[in-house]
Amino acid sequence: MTEKKVVVPNKLGIHARPAALIVRAAVEFACDIWVESPADKVNAKSIMGVMTLAASGGTEIVVSADGSDEVEAVEAVAEVIRSGFGEEMI
Amino acid sequence: MLFKGVPASHGIAIGSAFLLKVEELKHAKRLLESSEQAELEVKRFQVAISSVRHDLENIADTMEDVVEGRQILEFLLLLLQDPTIKRDVESRILGGLVNAEYAVSTALRGVMEKFEVMADPYIRERVADVRDVGRRVIEKLTGTEKDVLDKMQEPVVLVAKDLDPSETAGLKPGQILAFVTDMGGRTSHTTILARALGIPAVVGLQKITSEINPRDMIIVDGIHGHVIVNPTQEELRYYAGIKEKFQKAEKLLQKMNQEPAVTEDGVRIELAANIELPYEVELVNKLGADGIGLFRTEFLRLAQENGENEEDHFAIYDTVAFRMKPKPVIIRTYDMGGDKFRTGLNSVPEANPFLGYRAVRIGLDRPQEFSIQLRAILRASVHGNIRLMFPMVTHVEQLRRLRDLLEKVKNQLRVDEIPFDNDMQVGIMVETPATVIALDLMLPYADFVSIGTNDLTQYSLAVDRGNPRVADLYDSFHPAILRQIDTVVRLCHSQGKWVGVCGSMAGNPLAVPLMIGFGVDELSVAPSLIPDVKRMIGVVTTDAAREMAEKSLVTETGLGVRSLVHSYVMGKYPEILLDENDWETGG
Repeated sequence: MTEKKVVVPNKLGIHARPAALIVRAAVEFACDIWVESPADKVNAKSIMGVMTLAASGGTEIVVSADGSDEVEAVEAVAEVIRSGFGEEMI
Repeated sequence: MLFKGVPASHGIAIGSAFLLKVEELKHAKRLLESSEQAELEVKRFQVAISSVRHDLENIADTMEDVVEGRQILEFLLLLLQDPTIKRDVESRILGGLVNAEYAVSTALRGVMEKFEVMADPYIRERVADVRDVGRRVIEKLTGTEKDVLDKMQEPVVLVAKDLDPSETAGLKPGQILAFVTDMGGRTSHTTILARALGIPAVVGLQKITSEINPRDMIIVDGIHGHVIVNPTQEELRYYAGIKEKFQKAEKLLQKMNQEPAVTEDGVRIELAANIELPYEVELVNKLGADGIGLFRTEFLRLAQENGENEEDHFAIYDTVAFRMKPKPVIIRTYDMGGDKFRTGLNSVPEANPFLGYRAVRIGLDRPQEFSIQLRAILRASVHGNIRLMFPMVTHVEQLRRLRDLLEKVKNQLRVDEIPFDNDMQVGIMVETPATVIALDLMLPYADFVSIGTNDLTQYSLAVDRGNPRVADLYDSFHPAILRQIDTVVRLCHSQGKWVGVCGSMAGNPLAVPLMIGFGVDELSVAPSLIPDVKRMIGVVTTDAAREMAEKSLVTETGLGVRSLVHSYVMGKYPEILLDENDWETGG
């Protein structure tokens, strides 16, 4: 099990397009990956799950994974979030 | 009868109504007899998904040139393949021994309910996407696929409660004149697609479906969000006129966006954008600008209540430079004081803030703080094509001190072993007559200059344009201003330096031919003005521009200069509609 904390850096938070970017990064890996906000913990490969997190800008997110490629997976998903999805930052 | 809704996609359309019924996502429950049957039902569900996937990918392929369209289809595909939803449907089938149609509709209704109560309206609008995917899967399962839109004989105005995004993506602009819907908002995927496809649309009309009968004549005004049902002859004539005008302008602008700014005789003009916030970069790139000619950094000061933070600066400069790469980004250091952001830096009230403590005057007074901004800019310079620009340099010794300070910061970076672009261009703004007159003494210390015509006009003519009693004296077409621009260009070119204009003269259509005529190397304007300025550049030849520029130098009044350019443009291209404001005001 690997995990990493990141803060959602963009103003609009994780809405549809950022959620799609997260899922697209997650499905590249074989292991199970989760993203967790203070409110909920969801499957990072589920667009519905990631969207219903509705994590706004500034929310602290824990990315965790369990499986053979968990280290790379956590890093990849955390990086997508850290990048701010190419949007206006807070 | 007039209805008002949300203007979702620009344009005007006139045509007859076609009512489209959207089926609710409901399906009757059928109980299965055995778990073997349920296994088969799961198989059937999986086949339906891969079949829908195939359909959506086909639609996505037709959207090759529509970025928004591709993104939305990709989103639908992710929803379709969502593992959580899939598992939910499968366990409903296996656990409840129910048919796949019923399992899909109940599972998705659950998802939709979850979305509907979300606080974020942007996420709430994704309900339409869930229904879209669900409808397609159920249609596959029941074999009731139908393409209603194929039945339409002539182009129509589509009237619906709501439209599914994938349905909208399948619309052909020739087949659908426009659409109007009861539901929807500005950020629904259907709306975004309509804009991308250039189909006029008004949404959020509440009950329009119950007010329109099939074949009613409808005018859709997507600019104002108006829908007129069964219009009068007069209304029809009026809107037909607007429609023609709008289409002409759109066609021209669309064409321009893809192309670089080139004069009629084929000379390339560098056209850049002025930005204030980092997210504007996306728009700037879409408009095909040649770079950022002025990146104002004052907004960063607002976020720095507890003192300057180098990392904050760096993150912003780095992002903008990287996204514009390899196009240049000119970062202007803080231009505070005057009328901008006086808080904190300037607690002593000044009788003449515009002649007071501002811009690099503050920077040189507080070198410690100023170095933080310089250091961040230098660090970012290795990740893109960054140029540095100092505002309000009026004295040669200021410029020498600024260069010394920059050297100091560079040395510190060397000590810290942090990379930077040692050849980063350093320029100054020309905003005062003093800078113009003493420019030959400044140029040895600058790689380029950019003329800020607004300040140059106010300082040259001694007019505060915020004061209504003298505002009419403010005129950037005044011979004193045009002569200074001419002088600056000549001086710079004689010393091998380039000149930009980033004040509002660069974006004034009537001034554009003059700037070209004076030999200005780069024009930098607000992003929204780029299409207009491009269009203006395209109708001028360099010979005519030079001739007009020369004439303007010996024309007595600003009004005389404007009429000179105006009559040239109108004589050649009467269809170019110049805004009355360009004509009346002097920049």
